Amino acid sequence: MTSIGTGYDLSVSTYSPDGRIFQVEYAQKAVDNSGTAIGLRVKDGVVLAVEKIKHSRLLVPESNRRIMTAAKHVGIVSAGWMSDTRHLVKRAREESRNYHDTYKRDVPAKILAERMGMYKQVYTLYSAVRPFGVGTIMASYDADGPQLYMVEPSGQYFGYHGCAAGKGKQVAKTEIEKLKLSEMTVREAIKEAARIIYSAHDETKDKLFELELSWVCEESGRKHQRVPKELIEEAIQYAERALDEDDDEMDDDEE
Amino acid sequence: MFRNQYDNDASTWSPQGRIFQVEYASEAVKQGSAVVGLRSKDHVVLVAVKRSPNELASYQKKIVRIDDHMGIAMAGLTSDARVLSNYLRTEAMRSKMVYGRPLPVGRAVNMIGDRAQINTLEYGRRPYGVGLLVIGYDDAGPHLLEFNPSGIVSEYYAYSIGARSQSARTNLERNFEQFQDLSLQELVTQGLRALRDTLQQGKQLDTMNTSIGFVGKDTKFTMLDGEATQQYLDLIDEGARHAGGRCDGD
Amino acid sequence: MDAIKIQLPHTVQPRAENANDGAVSRTMQPIVTGTSVVAFKYKDGIMMAADTLASYGSLARFRSEKRLMAVGDNTLVGVSGDLSDFQYMQHVLEDLETRELCMDDDQTLGTKSVYKYISNIMYNRRTKVDPLWNSYVVAGLDHDEKFLGFVDLYGTRYQSPTIATGFGAHLAQPILRKRVEGREDEIEEEEALAILDDCMRVLFYRDARSFNKLRRAKVTAQGVEISEPYSLETNWDFAESIVGYGG
Repeated sequence: MTSIGTGYDLSVSTYSPDGRIFQVEYAQKAVDNSGTAIGLRVKDGVVLAVEKIKHSRLLVPESNRRIMTAAKHVGIVSAGWMSDTRHLVKRAREESRNYHDTYKRDVPAKILAERMGMYKQVYTLYSAVRPFGVGTIMASYDADGPQLYMVEPSGQYFGYHGCAAGKGKQVAKTEIEKLKLSEMTVREAIKEAARIIYSAHDETKDKLFELELSWVCEESGRKHQRVPKELIEEAIQYAERALDEDDDEMDDDEE
Repeated sequence: MFRNQYDNDASTWSPQGRIFQVEYASEAVKQGSAVVGLRSKDHVVLVAVKRSPNELASYQKKIVRIDDHMGIAMAGLTSDARVLSNYLRTEAMRSKMVYGRPLPVGRAVNMIGDRAQINTLEYGRRPYGVGLLVIGYDDAGPHLLEFNPSGIVSEYYAYSIGARSQSARTNLERNFEQFQDLSLQELVTQGLRALRDTLQQGKQLDTMNTSIGFVGKDTKFTMLDGEATQQYLDLIDEGARHAGGRCDGD
Repeated sequence: MDAIKIQLPHTVQPRAENANDGAVSRTMQPIVTGTSVVAFKYKDGIMMAADTLASYGSLARFRSEKRLMAVGDNTLVGVSGDLSDFQYMQHVLEDLETRELCMDDDQTLGTKSVYKYISNIMYNRRTKVDPLWNSYVVAGLDHDEKFLGFVDLYGTRYQSPTIATGFGAHLAQPILRKRVEGREDEIEEEEALAILDDCMRVLFYRDARSFNKLRRAKVTAQGVEISEPYSLETNWDFAESIVGYGG
């Protein structure tokens, strides 16, 4: 990398001669090293899924959650540093509460995304701080229907039909692009999300992982909740079957 | 040592997306003597080995009570642990005053996790140089959680941190599936066996250097030091002959 | 030279701008009010009732207000007194509920905790001499144990198997003492409903701020259930025999 050793990459308040802020790019690296997180926006809701990489068998399953709730109708999953994620979710909760105190209605996803973008951007301005090493995916169901946003470490944010961050984002994006998201239901999206996380998982690098799934949809009363256990199990079976079929096809090709 | 440009402060990312100061702080945890935590379906236990700087000095405290339902064990910079435990005590009291309920354990540990995260974000600070194992009992049962300098909090069935803690973790990984139904006494004994694996050659667990803490269903947080630990130390070898066959055998 | 300062006698202080002689005005009375809440323990849990009227002085101003609310899955709160203060409390409790929900850690805020929280708010406001002008009745099942508590604008609190606020403390409480106390674990739902209706009927006959459109609610192991508004059968024949005081 040309940035290393130039001295232009040590502070977030320094531009390189070609106009880049390397510290923000390095923070993005932390996101790219993390387990894959995806969001799918379909016709009746939004599904979030994440590949939670486990460093030990001693960890209690279903604890240490990566998907969190920011407000009744807002869920957040992120790729990147877990402790930064908690910081940002805390901020998102404060923003949602603040909005609710002032306007007595749920914060619209667009506004929350903008405020989170602004908050992250501040941490790209001053040498006294570092940017957040987190790509934040936000799912919400507001007055305008299901919403999905992703906020980058730089503070940039976009609305999405489907998005991915983390190690397997290339694989995941390719798979997401094949889906007809606007015709799908959340129940179908759960299965596809599980399949995508399973196919993005690299068994040679990370042995243990857990699939975490949440939704905010008509069926959940427009509230952000964990997906019921039976549905997760069903989705995992579907994902494993799909992976086996892929393997078989590859074997066939070889023959 | 391994000096590089990116390891001077916690508010600089390395080109690979790492923060070296946080990683170095985690090394400080490994300088401290080991602690082990483990849980059954009703109880959760901490055991720790204490150090003494010389023969005339007392042993460094390793386990601290937070509330009737919660306690911690520390490895690393113990003065940092004191700041964190004071904070935890204040929050535990606040929970009782405001809501009339014991502070849920996971929330407590995440509170100090969130504090630790701030130290990794802003220039002029250093990350905490201590790791904690926190045990507690609340409406959701017994819990064992780990806090570390990065601010990440994780929940375990059994875990160990501190010097040579890998040996204890290997022991725990082999046995933790059997812990669920153990009695409190058996659980403490299992913990001490794992802790023993972290000792340097020629060192032994004795009443001077062993600390035990536990809490559980209908059991307030209790700490045992000195002579009180003898009854459990006696069980380490005896148990190995009887129960050991069951726990270690695969 | 410094200007000569004239020291006025302490009784004649100069008037500060934009201040009412340093006086602060406080809430001195409730404005739009709700009347009694009646609640008691029965076999399966707790029953509660309140009418839907919000009075402006003696004027029956708003006639379909809700004075019963659920907090979480297992707690029921009923209110008397100033309804704008209640709306504020409602907001505070919704906030509390959201905070709990966000924790997502399989731990729920029990009824006792909600009660303690409300009591703290009430006592805190009274120490500032700026009370929320309400009486709250908090009911629920906390770890399978029936709970019924009361707290007023001073932060005074007590727990009892039967509670009635406002006018109900005079008119409904004697009925509850007679028909409920000592039998809390025996009373079936059907009888509980009859007792509740009897209390509310007496209140409607005698309390001039009451209204014959009310809601009842129950908390059981199944959670909180708040009914739609309904009316009671009344019989005014007795009015014929009342003589004097406009009878």
